[in-house]
Amino acid sequence: MMQTVAIFVGAYRELSARKIFWLALAISLLVVGLFACLGINETGISFLGWTFESPMFSTNTTSPETFYKLLFVNLGVDWWLGVLSTLLALVTTCGIIPDLVAPGSIDLLLAKPITRTRLFLTKYCTGLLFAALQVFVFSTASFFVIGLRGGAWEWALFAAVPIVTFFYSLLFSMCAFIGVLTRSSVASLILTLLAWTIIFTINISESIVNSGRIANQMEATKIESELANTDDPVDEDKLEELTGDLEKTLANRPTWDRAHFWFFGVKTFLPKTTDTLKLLDRWLLDGASMPSRNEESERGPQQAFGPKRVKRGEFQRAVKADEQSHSIWWVLGTSLVFEGIVLGLATVIFVRRDY
Amino acid sequence: MASAPNAMHDSANDLGNDLAIDLTDVHKTYGRKIRALQGVTLQVRAGEIFGLLGPNGAGKSTLVKIMMTIVRPDTAKGTVLNRGVGDPVALARIGYLPEHHRFPTYLTGRQVVEFSGAMSKVDRATRKKRASELLDRVGMGDWKDRPLSSYSKGMRQRVGLAAALVNDPQLVVLDEPTDGVDPVGRREIRDLLIGIRDEGRTVLLNSHLLSEIENVCSRVAILVQGRLVAQGTIDELTSSSRRYEIVVEGSAPAWCAESASVRMIPAGQMLSAGIQGESCRLVFLGLDALGAQSILDRLRSEQRTVIAAQTVRESLEDLFMRAVTDPTTGLIYRPGAAT
Repeated sequence: MMQTVAIFVGAYRELSARKIFWLALAISLLVVGLFACLGINETGISFLGWTFESPMFSTNTTSPETFYKLLFVNLGVDWWLGVLSTLLALVTTCGIIPDLVAPGSIDLLLAKPITRTRLFLTKYCTGLLFAALQVFVFSTASFFVIGLRGGAWEWALFAAVPIVTFFYSLLFSMCAFIGVLTRSSVASLILTLLAWTIIFTINISESIVNSGRIANQMEATKIESELANTDDPVDEDKLEELTGDLEKTLANRPTWDRAHFWFFGVKTFLPKTTDTLKLLDRWLLDGASMPSRNEESERGPQQAFGPKRVKRGEFQRAVKADEQSHSIWWVLGTSLVFEGIVLGLATVIFVRRDY
Repeated sequence: MASAPNAMHDSANDLGNDLAIDLTDVHKTYGRKIRALQGVTLQVRAGEIFGLLGPNGAGKSTLVKIMMTIVRPDTAKGTVLNRGVGDPVALARIGYLPEHHRFPTYLTGRQVVEFSGAMSKVDRATRKKRASELLDRVGMGDWKDRPLSSYSKGMRQRVGLAAALVNDPQLVVLDEPTDGVDPVGRREIRDLLIGIRDEGRTVLLNSHLLSEIENVCSRVAILVQGRLVAQGTIDELTSSSRRYEIVVEGSAPAWCAESASVRMIPAGQMLSAGIQGESCRLVFLGLDALGAQSILDRLRSEQRTVIAAQTVRESLEDLFMRAVTDPTTGLIYRPGAAT
């Protein structure tokens, strides 16, 4: 325990010695400060005394509590913590493992009475310290903003700390693996970003293909329903149009199903970075205290792969229901398996190598 | 270039059980070709300063790293501090300062020493107390709360020494401890090593500076191409080269030519300065001052003028050069490990 504490204290000293750590922390507080400056009233959104009229966001449609939670999840977590802060964290921590295995540094630690496995995994955990501290500060500041401005003291906000830290751990496991393999901070950073981009692309592709597949199913069901319920058998033009659309829709189904099968298959073996962050949506925005952000609009133009005959809101609910049909354990479990394998390989390389 | 070296001496058979390091048959091959260590046997007595010598790539650092679990041996029998190689209990009682160490530069000297203590499982109060004491002892008392980024190389070396001693080690392993240290600092470190030894600790010193080794080490080992070619006290290792030299006026006596153990060097080939004119140096191999008295008496009885008479032995440098030279070809073994 003494050694673990010493390594963590050392990691904190290392972080606090880096300007980028304090810069990221300052930006976090700035982002929360901007949230605090935003407000919602009967006509729209206010910012430092100015009011911007909005038909979507006003106290008539959204409660202040919901408004701030939306800001926290959609801007704070999805964009700031999930993208920008993560980039800063990777830049800051990509050198942890290469520095650990650098000649002259590794000698000092391996000569101590600590097993290599424990040393490596403890060092890996210190890499998560940056993300954990950033999210904790951000969540705490947001907790007070939502409490003071939104009138709700939402402890569930702190779920962001383990979720975002876990999300970061998925990326950092790859960073650690590349770091121990190449011993290069630059290679760790670049290849991790590349892997993240690939995973993100596959996730998005699967999401798009899945939307197309669901749209196809809903469209076919809707047409079949219209055909069954039509009261005007003499309207042959409509009947022909419906039959033609149904045939076309059913003909496309195998393509959607096959594409989804492959994308989903690949996605299953990869870490669920996007899905992990979306867990916060489930816990914060789907609770009894507020409606889901995607249910705000029932009308409006369809998305690229949306069904023509189904309302947008209905389609979005179906897509979301499908996304959420994957249990939390599927999202976390498959990601953990990936992380475990990557980290296991990195540990084996670290343990077996001569320095 | 010469081929593999042969062992010159191995005088470590009568060391008894009081050994801090007792390693036998240490083998290490990097990849499939580079044989860094080929059956090395090393025995270091408790309470002595032991010098590990060898040319670059001879396997010194590999041997030290095997003891410190930084490199995994192919085979390594024996014990370090009476425990198996890599035993955590033994590691907790060893202080180690690697060559080209890299302490985090954002830490202060005190933090470096305290971190080292924590990693060696020294409790908080003890390591804080020892950190201050040791930093004072290595002359870094005034700098202990400044970051390493403001230190010179020699100052970092001193802090490294303090870090190696924070766990009150029984065995201190130092790899080039005076690297980057000025002459005054070297003297201080040498005194520190002697102080450490006087406290009953064992010191394994890996250094290229032969004079440094000669000044402080009671025993040495020489590694060449992954093999131990010499091990023992400097006296033991140089005893075979011990000789008595007498410079006499005139040519060499005829009776000297009859003895196989006497070499006669004419004045033209003599290296000693200050001897001029017609004279000759007589070199009596393996002879000490006591044994030389009868020869001196005989020379005087023959009315020969003795200009100089002294016991001569190899320096550590001579010994080292002899160890790294192939006796059959007279060529220096090629640097690096055997392949």
